[in-house]
Amino acid sequence: MSSSPRSRTSQTAIFALAVGAAIIGLSLILVGLGVNLLDAGRMFVGGLFPPVAVTTQGAQIRDLYTIVFLIAVAIFIVVEGLIIWTVIRYRRKPGDDTLPPQTHGNNIAEFVWTIVPTILVIFMFVISWQTLNQVDKSSADSQTKIRAVAGQFQWTFDYLAPDGTTILYTEYIPLVSADGGMIVPAGRTVQLSLVSNDVIHAFYVPQFLFKRDVVPGRTNSFDFKVNDSDVGQTFRGQCAELCGSGHSIMLFEVKALSGPEFDAWLALKAKAAPSAPAPSGQPAPSGQPAPSGQPAPSGQPAPSGGAQGETLALTAHNIAYDKTSLTATAGAPFKIDFKNEDAGTPHNVAIHQGSATGQEVFKGEIFPGAAEKTYDVPALSAGAYAFVCTVHPNMTGTLTVQ
Amino acid sequence: MATTTLPRSASASRSTLYEWLTTTDHKKIGIMYLINSFFFFFFAGILALLVRSELAQPGLQFFTDQAYNELFSMHGTIMIFLFVIPMLAGFGNYVVPLQIGAPDMAFPRINALSLWMLPLGGILLLLGFVTGGTAAAGWTSYAPLSEDHALAATGTGQDLWIVALVLIGTSSILGAINFLVTIFKMRAPGMTLFRMPILVWTVLVTSVLVLMATPVITSALIMLFIDRNYGGSFFDPRVGGDAILYQNIFWFYSHPAVYVMVLPAMGMVSEILPVFSRKPLFGYKAFIFATAAIGALGFSVWAHHMFTTGAVFLPFFSIMTFLIAVPTGVKMFNWVFTMWRGQLMLKTPLLFAIGFLTMFLIGGINGAFSASVPVDFALHDTYWVVAHLHYVLFGGSVFGIMAGLYYWFPKMTGRMMNETIGKAQFVLMFIGFNLTFFPMHELGLAGMPRRIADYSSTAGWNQLNLLATIGGFTIAASMVLLLWNIFISLRSGTPAGDDPWEGNTLEWATSSPPPAYNFDRLPEIRSERPLFDARHGRTAEH
Amino acid sequence: MTITTGAETHPVPTEHNPLASMPHDTHGGISNPVLGMLLFITSEVMFFGGLFAAYFSLRANSPQWPTINPETGEPFQLAILPFVGPATILLILSSVTCQLAVWGIRRDDRTAFIRAMAVTVVLGIVFLSMQLIDYSLLGSEGLTLSSGPYGTTYYTLTGFHGAHVFGGVIMLSVVLYRGMAGQFSGKHYDAVEAASLYWHFVDVVWILLFSLLYLLPGKTAAT
Repeated sequence: MSSSPRSRTSQTAIFALAVGAAIIGLSLILVGLGVNLLDAGRMFVGGLFPPVAVTTQGAQIRDLYTIVFLIAVAIFIVVEGLIIWTVIRYRRKPGDDTLPPQTHGNNIAEFVWTIVPTILVIFMFVISWQTLNQVDKSSADSQTKIRAVAGQFQWTFDYLAPDGTTILYTEYIPLVSADGGMIVPAGRTVQLSLVSNDVIHAFYVPQFLFKRDVVPGRTNSFDFKVNDSDVGQTFRGQCAELCGSGHSIMLFEVKALSGPEFDAWLALKAKAAPSAPAPSGQPAPSGQPAPSGQPAPSGQPAPSGGAQGETLALTAHNIAYDKTSLTATAGAPFKIDFKNEDAGTPHNVAIHQGSATGQEVFKGEIFPGAAEKTYDVPALSAGAYAFVCTVHPNMTGTLTVQ
Repeated sequence: MATTTLPRSASASRSTLYEWLTTTDHKKIGIMYLINSFFFFFFAGILALLVRSELAQPGLQFFTDQAYNELFSMHGTIMIFLFVIPMLAGFGNYVVPLQIGAPDMAFPRINALSLWMLPLGGILLLLGFVTGGTAAAGWTSYAPLSEDHALAATGTGQDLWIVALVLIGTSSILGAINFLVTIFKMRAPGMTLFRMPILVWTVLVTSVLVLMATPVITSALIMLFIDRNYGGSFFDPRVGGDAILYQNIFWFYSHPAVYVMVLPAMGMVSEILPVFSRKPLFGYKAFIFATAAIGALGFSVWAHHMFTTGAVFLPFFSIMTFLIAVPTGVKMFNWVFTMWRGQLMLKTPLLFAIGFLTMFLIGGINGAFSASVPVDFALHDTYWVVAHLHYVLFGGSVFGIMAGLYYWFPKMTGRMMNETIGKAQFVLMFIGFNLTFFPMHELGLAGMPRRIADYSSTAGWNQLNLLATIGGFTIAASMVLLLWNIFISLRSGTPAGDDPWEGNTLEWATSSPPPAYNFDRLPEIRSERPLFDARHGRTAEH
Repeated sequence: MTITTGAETHPVPTEHNPLASMPHDTHGGISNPVLGMLLFITSEVMFFGGLFAAYFSLRANSPQWPTINPETGEPFQLAILPFVGPATILLILSSVTCQLAVWGIRRDDRTAFIRAMAVTVVLGIVFLSMQLIDYSLLGSEGLTLSSGPYGTTYYTLTGFHGAHVFGGVIMLSVVLYRGMAGQFSGKHYDAVEAASLYWHFVDVVWILLFSLLYLLPGKTAAT
């Protein structure tokens, strides 16, 4: 196929004009659609960086990232530029009938582009290694010890005494918004150990710029220290190692309190916490009423005297309830005989008005299986409700009160 | 004595179905490798479209979590084992004997066996879709999830997956033995090792990798099978096994596997750049040493996939991973300087080769981030890795495969592919590819993990996911162009003749398609460009 | 069809399969089948390598090796007598007879070849039988595939070795049959050489396995 008789210079000019026109045209269209180009540009470039770190270790990683990024951009511009320039400059033009010089190679060039990249990568390795030593350093004397227990499909946080074994308090609810979450003291080194009840999971908080696998059969651990300036903030976290069908819902949140606030919080929780799950045969504490701050369930007041009325049976097995619907009589308190058959996995039964996202009117105590508890549910007025597991929101069903 | 050049009408495509099914001819077998691989490419591509459809918006619109896990697990498995690796083996099968002046491969019947094990393995793998669920623990199938019968991984789908992969791996190993014996023992007189075309060299190194690495994953798969079905204790900590052990054995193969997936594509690009630049490959010997270095170093980096397990000697694997960038960079410069001061003929094969260079470069660069252990702590198991792997495997291998297809299609069929459609396919595929995978860098940095069926609508990932899905469908549109091009070219493409590209290597010294035993006569072989030498009347010393 | 190399021309009859009339390889040295077999053996070495890696890793991570047999409360025990030890000696012997067979056919002594090869096949079958008997004894003592890491690795390693012995017996039987049918001579014996290489490989793997599983001292968890 012969190329057109136009000269190479004007072909390049036409090509450049066409590209320029396309860019301007596209920009005009975007502006016309209401896109703020400056904001979009800023978002694009900002998106090429990880979030601003909230821990000391995370900040060190981010600094390292920035250096690697700058080197990467430089290499990209140089090499990509070289390719594009070569393709444009050395296109075959009409009249190019004799062969170009048949250069086979150049040993000096080979030497240069072997040695220089080697030096560059060794540099990148060294700075990475230095950062790693700082990030992976574990301090022997961190006073705050937390253990994250991962299972299919929830996170549980054990707050440990300084001896590293006694459990002061166990938080079953992974999200801060539901009065749970992993609460940590800012400005102090926290030692987090990781254990799995079943398969491999991973503890990942994007704002820590950090993740560590949770491997059954071994205990991983790492230290982190949230910046004092990030007190009061909540950071989202998520499981980052495929662990089965509930992998995408294994969310959690970390909230940073100031040192004294954290100490007070932990002391309160430790005092109020029930002791280790009662072995069967002992009376189990009855279910708690709805947390303060929420209006009492509408309708009749509970009858005086002890809890009367029917007993509903419900079982949790393999992260699912065995029933999708329950019925109860309106106006009288009733019991729920709840059997948790998932060994090591915490469940409960909570009741919400209308649907699972409606107002919570009852929350049973969360406990790990395999165990059984009877909840005392206060009287409810007639209507449609949903029952749901606080730890696993995908476990849900309808409760009809009539 | 009359010559036995076949008349043009007796082309390969006129042979009967029975001939094709029972052939031991490397050219027909090569073409069937390509057809089989393309079928699985499109199948796995559709799985990808389903994945992207689900992720376009937050909320589960089309699939359950479990079904979604099956989709991406099968997408990865099929693309690696039934598309990229066999596709490149297919090109090798077709081109290598021709390029070394041999009449066929060393073991033609084993060659046929290797071929037919592929659709068999593929069918076994896909059977999971109709027997209650495929493997759903990712293409990596980490234990103990892949051993967990109760929750999540699977029923017989995972076992079918294991058996299929053992079959396909065996096919690969037999192919590697065939390539090595062919290359070492059946070169035409005059073709010393350092006069072999560069594609033959890359197939050689790839075959060494396949030979040494694939049996290791076979052992891992068998151990997994024993754990799943015979109460074994290899990898399940609950019965005394070691979950990390699986990862070590698995990645010992799966890292060299990525070089298996890219080296032959690099070889094809290295054939195309000199022809379309009208000058030789810059630094032929350096290129060979760089390829060998990548092959060797490739065995020393496997645990960089396991930096976050807490069970790895980090500095060693980090430095080796960084070092592998050096020979890769050497190749990149050699390619660029092949084009430098050349006379570039911007036809479709060259366009795809340039696409390879520009996109593989990005894949190499973003890989360097992960080589830095602390940075990997942030990026591992996020969409950053999905971006990286697709830039090297799609931007690299697939663009290389497209280049090879457009380049050798005339030799295989006797017809040229349509240039206009080819250029349009390239542009659409290039745009679609970048639209799909570039946003994933940002998604990974922002914290989106891999392998999640759904994401929170408040995480801030909505727009980038939508963009990636649009890109995915753009790629699909480019594939429609490809299919159309293949179809019309087979029916009415311009007759190609022996040597439509002014090629350098021996496959262009015979008819298109070649006769049964490839060559009537061979030109003198005095360099790695025997046909170039013959055309320009040189017996250049090299 | 001719092949021109610029120096000479080799005319070849067009009616015959050109492939058969051409030299099988243009670069001399070991034959294609033997090179192919050596490469195949390399891949098998890597396969066993994966299994050995698992064995070493699990052993290193276990404070007690052999692990405790829940039925007896004592560590599992493997017995060299009366089966495994003698079987090992027979397998080594079979490598000797196999090599004798190769030397026999190399000097065109078909009788010696057939005799030695037949003995090799028989020895291989005896090895397998003794292995199977030993398996059933171990099973009755409580050692199975599901007896924790110790049982799993023992049976997987020896089982796959046994499978390779079985494959080797088949291969050697085919070679023996072809030899008896007169297909080998002092000039054509590639398949014999290839098969014998495989058989030696199987023997070497067993020597390694036997040393590791039966001779390497165990370790006891500190109480």
